[in-house]
Amino acid sequence: MLEIKNISKSYGTHLAVDQLSFEVKKGEIFGLLGENGAGKTTTFRIIMGLLEPNSGTVTLDGKKIDYSVTDTIGFVTEERSLLTKLTVKDQLVYYGILKGMSEEVILKRLDEWLEKFGISEYKNRKIKELSKGNQQKIQFIAGIINNPKLLILDEPFSGLDPINVKMFQEAILELKEKGCSIIFSSHQMEHIELFCEKLVILVKGKVVLSGYLKDIKKEYRKKNIFIQGDISIEKIKKVPGVLDVISTAKEYQVKIENDKIVDSVFQAISKNKITKFVVEEASLNEIFIEKVGESYDK
Amino acid sequence: MTSKFWFLTKQSLNKKIKTKWFLIANILLAVVIVGLLNIDSVISFFGGDFSSDVEIVLLDETKQTEDIFKNSLLLAEESFDLEHEMILELFSKSQKELEEELKESNKVGIVLEEDEDNYLKARIISNEKIDTMSYQVLVQALNTSKTQVAMKEANIAPEELQKITSNILIDRLILDDNAKSEDEATAMIMGTVFPTLILPFFMLVIFLVQMIGTEINEEKSTRSMEIIISNVSPKTHFFSKVLASNAFVLFQGVLLILYSGIGLLIKNSMQVDSSSQITDSISSIWDSLGQAGIIDRLPMILAATLILMILSFIAYSLIAGILASMTVNMEDFQQIQTPIMMICLLGYYLAIMAGMFDGSILIRVLSYVPFLSCLLAPALLVVGEIGVIDIGVSILLLCLLIYLMTKYGLKIYKVGILNYSTDKMWKRLWKAARSKG
Repeated sequence: MLEIKNISKSYGTHLAVDQLSFEVKKGEIFGLLGENGAGKTTTFRIIMGLLEPNSGTVTLDGKKIDYSVTDTIGFVTEERSLLTKLTVKDQLVYYGILKGMSEEVILKRLDEWLEKFGISEYKNRKIKELSKGNQQKIQFIAGIINNPKLLILDEPFSGLDPINVKMFQEAILELKEKGCSIIFSSHQMEHIELFCEKLVILVKGKVVLSGYLKDIKKEYRKKNIFIQGDISIEKIKKVPGVLDVISTAKEYQVKIENDKIVDSVFQAISKNKITKFVVEEASLNEIFIEKVGESYDK
Repeated sequence: MTSKFWFLTKQSLNKKIKTKWFLIANILLAVVIVGLLNIDSVISFFGGDFSSDVEIVLLDETKQTEDIFKNSLLLAEESFDLEHEMILELFSKSQKELEEELKESNKVGIVLEEDEDNYLKARIISNEKIDTMSYQVLVQALNTSKTQVAMKEANIAPEELQKITSNILIDRLILDDNAKSEDEATAMIMGTVFPTLILPFFMLVIFLVQMIGTEINEEKSTRSMEIIISNVSPKTHFFSKVLASNAFVLFQGVLLILYSGIGLLIKNSMQVDSSSQITDSISSIWDSLGQAGIIDRLPMILAATLILMILSFIAYSLIAGILASMTVNMEDFQQIQTPIMMICLLGYYLAIMAGMFDGSILIRVLSYVPFLSCLLAPALLVVGEIGVIDIGVSILLLCLLIYLMTKYGLKIYKVGILNYSTDKMWKRLWKAARSKG
């Protein structure tokens, strides 16, 4: 289990991370959210031992993270950390050996993963000759080739097409099944919603929201009603408790303060021809935007 | 961690050696070194007359100056220390016929004629230009001939004439064994230390600094540094780079010696059948060492030089690594490495000119300065400007610098390799030095 307790890190007068605490259990997927400069990468660097926090502790299975345990951690950075002049095979052998693995094991696992990602033919190609998506796959393989106990994924889906995102999702879920603890950051909230059981939202290094995703959504009172049919937007907007009405190509999204408003909205449009009336919880994206916005207002 | 250190060192070394660049650079180096050592044969092969003798055809219309000119020419050849010979043949036909004969040859024609006012006048005829040195010899020989003709006409006895015209006998005595004239000292440096030490060392330092800078920058700019440093400590990474770059330059140094050896072997094998007068390079260096009276001290000089060189390579690689860690791209590195290159260049020129600083305290003190000492100290040792104690001081100061760079430089390196700040480089360096590390 990864345990982070009250870590703080400042660069000069700039406080990058402020009293951050969370834990990630075995086989759990944890999301670290925040806009650019929120302190996500600093947090990852502290976990990897690349940065020393000003205060607080980071432990993996009760042990301080140092070079005696980094062999059991996988790290996929936001930017492509590949030596582009090397071939795929040489690069993976290079990183694998730095993880304390033998060349034989590396090559065996490399073949398996290349096949899984459908890029076996690139094994002896130079990395610079590969497309961005395929380079991203190689970087992902480099991060997981040691079958890590803890996997850190900093924006793993950036620049990937939906097919490759699906491949990565499957691989991540497979690692979770094997008991790997995974932390990942992403700007795309749908990815966090899809994977993460727990999350933290950081704003300027401070935690503004944390906990299990289902609890966060439950506690977030605002809801959305999706309606299809002939309705008057102005009429709905007049209903007390309705925050906004957004018209899209196929439906209307009505934002309400809480689920008690649902009946009032339904009453207001009940005489119209309605083909869809669905009440849904707010998306993580909405929660994120609101929480980050509130923090900025403060 | 130890195996990771050796792995990184091996990888780093392979990255340099197993490249097309290394192969091409070494082919060029081998060709240049072998070519330079056999430059006379190369010039001859392409039709040049680098070492061929100059044939002179003399038409003496005075009918009495032939012997005088012959002797004057010999004296002039001696005083200019010509590497080729001047072969004199007599011509008894007319000047027009001489001109005709010279048209199709490389020979130089000299026509001596009587002159009422100036005793003797001469004409030098050749089909092409004459090399400067040969021309000067001929001019001196002609001037001497004229003087002799004048004295003969003034009825000075041949014995007296011989005495007047013979070169003054100079017996040079230097009381201080270590004291040499500026020219002698410079000649000695250029003949011994420059080809064997200064030039190769300078080249290898450039290789070393570039290698370490390029590698660290490549790892930083591709962001693979984060992955590497998350698996091995900055200390392991740093020393693997230092070891690999030093191993590389030593290997390259051995290759340079090998190319020189091949070049000399080729030269020797060609000289068996050739009449080249150029002395063998090794013999030349050995002769210079013998003249300097340092053959007895050679083992000590070699040992001191070797220690200085190895320590200097380490110092240069440490400083290059530390500075490279603060840069974010090659442009940055080229900028930050300029002071190192300037220091090295200063050492290079000071070493070449070391003989000119006879007895100067400044040059002695400069020979203690790390980064300069490896170039300057051996040169000064050869010319007898400094002794073993001075070399000891240089080595001590280098060791001290290496210790300080290892201790404080590593702190900068740890911060620098993961720093992508866009602050001014020197500001970054200052911040890193002040960090807790």
